Amino acid sequence: MDTLQTLALGFIGIVIVNNLVFTKFLGTCPYLGVSGRLDMAFGMGCAVTFVITLAGAMTWIIDHGFLMGTQLEVTRYVCYILVIAGAVQLVEMYLRKFFPTLYDSFGIFLPLITTNCAILGLCLFIYLWQVQTLLEAAVLSFGAGIGFTLAICIMAGIRENLELADVPAPLRGAPITLITAGLLTLAFMGFAGMIR
Amino acid sequence: MSKLRYFFQESWLLMVSSVVFGGLLAATNSAWEPRIRQNEIDKFNALAGAMLPQAIRFEAIAEKVSVDLGKGKTAQVEVKRGLTEQAQTAGWAFVCEGSGFADKIKLVVATDAGFAKLAGFGVLSSNETPGFGDKITIKNGFFQSQFKGAPADLLTLVRTGDRTKIDSEIVAISGATVTSQAVVDILNRFISQVKQGLEEKGVLQ
Amino acid sequence: MAEETKNVSLGKTLADGIWSQNPVLRLLLGMCPTLAVTAAVKPAITMGLSVIFVLVCSNIVVSMMRHLLKPHLRILMFTLTIATFVTIADLYLKAYLPEMSAALGPYIPLIIVNCIIICRAEACAAKNGILVSVVDAIGMGLGFTAALCVLASVREILATGKWFDSVVMPGWFVPWAAMSMPVGAFITLGLILALVNQLAGKKT
Repeated sequence: MDTLQTLALGFIGIVIVNNLVFTKFLGTCPYLGVSGRLDMAFGMGCAVTFVITLAGAMTWIIDHGFLMGTQLEVTRYVCYILVIAGAVQLVEMYLRKFFPTLYDSFGIFLPLITTNCAILGLCLFIYLWQVQTLLEAAVLSFGAGIGFTLAICIMAGIRENLELADVPAPLRGAPITLITAGLLTLAFMGFAGMIR
Repeated sequence: MSKLRYFFQESWLLMVSSVVFGGLLAATNSAWEPRIRQNEIDKFNALAGAMLPQAIRFEAIAEKVSVDLGKGKTAQVEVKRGLTEQAQTAGWAFVCEGSGFADKIKLVVATDAGFAKLAGFGVLSSNETPGFGDKITIKNGFFQSQFKGAPADLLTLVRTGDRTKIDSEIVAISGATVTSQAVVDILNRFISQVKQGLEEKGVLQ
Repeated sequence: MAEETKNVSLGKTLADGIWSQNPVLRLLLGMCPTLAVTAAVKPAITMGLSVIFVLVCSNIVVSMMRHLLKPHLRILMFTLTIATFVTIADLYLKAYLPEMSAALGPYIPLIIVNCIIICRAEACAAKNGILVSVVDAIGMGLGFTAALCVLASVREILATGKWFDSVVMPGWFVPWAAMSMPVGAFITLGLILALVNQLAGKKT
């Protein structure tokens, strides 16, 4: 029961309270680039969730199973990024073979995900927070993906409406998106302290 | 055989550079690792030394004390004895942590030799709201000074009160009740259990 | 004549990296560390210098290797190189600048996925000689550091009234705590980008 409570609180915590985009500034590049339309945003969010859960679990396993046992902790970052790149490749190949329609709808997003700071960032945070169990790492990774999807979809909805507004010329594009993101961050700050 | 040759032909650069980079990392790591470890010890010593001025060095006791964090988790705390020039016990210091308003708060807590009174606490790391919760980090500020000489017993947080009176009542930082409560909770959880652990090991006279 | 054109284009490469092709303000790359470490000027400069170090080293190595790279292993080689140098930078900070390392936290290893470095390796170092690659790296790195410092200065002065740990604002100034939180980061960067757009738009 305790485990379930910790997991549930951890999940809600990372989706809403410690949302990766709004509080830790991770995943900002695709967040600004891909949030133009709601369907593209949702597709990106799903792809990221898929890869991030896989990557989070695999890096935890490598960390605890291999790196900490031997004295190879200095190669941690190299291992993490190689695992993530490998995971993205695997997912791409698997999808292309078995789910071609899904692969087509993900389009260009999958290869772009390797440089998404959110994935490497989450793996590093899982190490930093000293997460003890694989289950907790997997749940937190999944939650991070969901949080990212939530953030990017909200932003896409707002931007679709912004297209109809009269934005001054220098502010068009990235600046107004950033200011909107800032206001969203302000809104999400209201959730801080919810989980103790 | 030709498949193997093809494999080597394509990937020889990868393998060579892996070896070179691996060697580079190993060399840098072995060169700088002792310094990195020393930095962590220095940070602890600086904070603990500020609270126990007679202690010239800190020595960890032989075994770690087990502290129950609730929700089925336990932590192994390394308690350090502060030694004076004459190798007398000046006090005890250890690291404790718990969740604050935003993120985890990591504290260094020091007590006197008999573990009867607190010598204060220092913040190793925290991520509290600037201007409000992060007032716990102000050295000898409003909040920290209330813990110097407070009893090493159960502390309670009050909203208003006399902050200059040193007792087990701690006045919260206005506008940062959650952070203040978090610090008090961390201390309550760790102090009684560490004291008990030290007594069981027969280390406290 | 060839020497002159080479020198001119080196100077232009350097200047491009700082203004017209500024990675943060014009190319919109490397946003994550820009927002995260700019709460004060000191961490911003530390991050900027680390990025310059990694950029220069990885550009040199990639440029040396450029004729030997196999097409499908290219990105892997870039990533490996960058990850190695970032680890070295991280170890250096942990050893010699521990408070900066603690302040920057996980954002130093995040330099590995910083789009700036991999983009420059791909676009410039893989196609040019060592000298051009180094100049490009320095230009981009300086541009990145400059952008970070501008943002960090604005945020630090408004959030604490200090710049580089010395008080700059007059006594009646009430600090805007929001500037040191994510809100301030996003909004300030948005406004600075708008300003840069305005200035650049006026020129052309």
